Amino acid sequence: MKSSVKLTVNGLEQEHQAEPRTSLLTFLREQCGLTGSKRGCEEGECGGCSVLLDGELVTSCLIFAVEAQGAQLVTVEGLGTPHHLSPLQEAFATDGASQCGFCIPGMLLAATNLLERNPDPNEQDIRKAISGNLCRCTGYDLIVAAISMAAELKKGARG
Amino acid sequence: MQNFTYHAPASLAEALALKNEDDAGTRFLAGGTDLFLAMEFAGEPVKTVVDLKKIPELTGIEELPGGGYRLGALTLMGQIEAHQGLRAQYPALVDAATVVGGPPIRNRATLGGNICNASPAADASTPLLALGAELVAVSAEGERSLPLGDFWSGPRQNALKPGELLKEVRLPALPEGGACAFERLTRSAMDIAVVNAAAAVSLDDAGNFASAQAALGAVGPVVLTVDGLGDALRGQPCSPEILEQVRKLAEAAAQPIDDKRASAEYRRDMAGVLAMRAVERAQLLARQGKGDEK
Repeated sequence: MKSSVKLTVNGLEQEHQAEPRTSLLTFLREQCGLTGSKRGCEEGECGGCSVLLDGELVTSCLIFAVEAQGAQLVTVEGLGTPHHLSPLQEAFATDGASQCGFCIPGMLLAATNLLERNPDPNEQDIRKAISGNLCRCTGYDLIVAAISMAAELKKGARG
Repeated sequence: MQNFTYHAPASLAEALALKNEDDAGTRFLAGGTDLFLAMEFAGEPVKTVVDLKKIPELTGIEELPGGGYRLGALTLMGQIEAHQGLRAQYPALVDAATVVGGPPIRNRATLGGNICNASPAADASTPLLALGAELVAVSAEGERSLPLGDFWSGPRQNALKPGELLKEVRLPALPEGGACAFERLTRSAMDIAVVNAAAAVSLDDAGNFASAQAALGAVGPVVLTVDGLGDALRGQPCSPEILEQVRKLAEAAAQPIDDKRASAEYRRDMAGVLAMRAVERAQLLARQGKGDEK
């Protein structure tokens, strides 16, 4: 019943055997070994498993891995490294936006997706962009502030 | 979840042939946001999944030559949300699509899937019903169209026959001087509506109602039409007394139940309030539309 699923994750080709019922989240965590995407509610409510699939923010728990055959994926592991954080990761760290940390990968991908489309978001834009991502520490204000700061930093960098 | 065979055909004919091989054991997959959960938690006995996302005939949002729009069944909620033409003409539909789940869900969930899933609380279905949408179903025998109001027979039950697939939704043009509005009551983002309502109205040259239709969601086994609204409002101004009639007709149309989100009594009251708000706001938009033309 298994078939080969081949896709690109964070610029690297990944090819593994998977059953049709395997979710994209399970494929990423167990076959690709990328555990940054979190298994939270597993019903599309919490956003902890959010990834970018061909540039669109999606919940990987509600997608069969076979549906993503040939797709381009970005997970939190593709945003930056511990020594070279992305501007958003830098802002989250500086602002103390991460408490328990469980929602942060999904938040970072939602925010990355927002800033790619709208480099100068207002608070309402930011809150809408992360409205599919639940923070169980309820630390939304600091998360919103960090995303706003990252936008400012990027603007400064562009001069 | 039990295992299944997965197909992703590139043509409509191939998808229909696969469904015909074993209709009962085969499910069409659009965005998957409902189907995945039905298979995972409700244990739906699915043997074959036919993914529709590679079929070009099922996609696209196009304005029709005679007015109105065609929306392919695989149109994403997020595509409706971002569509300027739809926003200008059918803000009720765009507002409703914008509150379906969160952004990651709207990037997957499809209009056709939402309609076929036949939830009485499906937000996008309420404005479609108020706007008088038609559906086009396709099978190996050909196509047929049917009014959206005839499509649902109960929660999770739709009128598709064995071997049939929902191909597209057709939105009629609003009448001259027409406008529409959507209202929704819920506790928070991401939650399912306690009640929703949509209205489509048009005004005559004197500013009185020329036509009016409204629909209610989450207050019955299916999304419901408010019967008698057009007759009650035709030729009348939008006065407090007329809005009171809208409230009474909406309360009479509602068939709510008690559940964890709200009591039946509260739902009936709110159906009245939301219907009033939707009609009042639609007529305000219609008035502004007339003002713009002058």
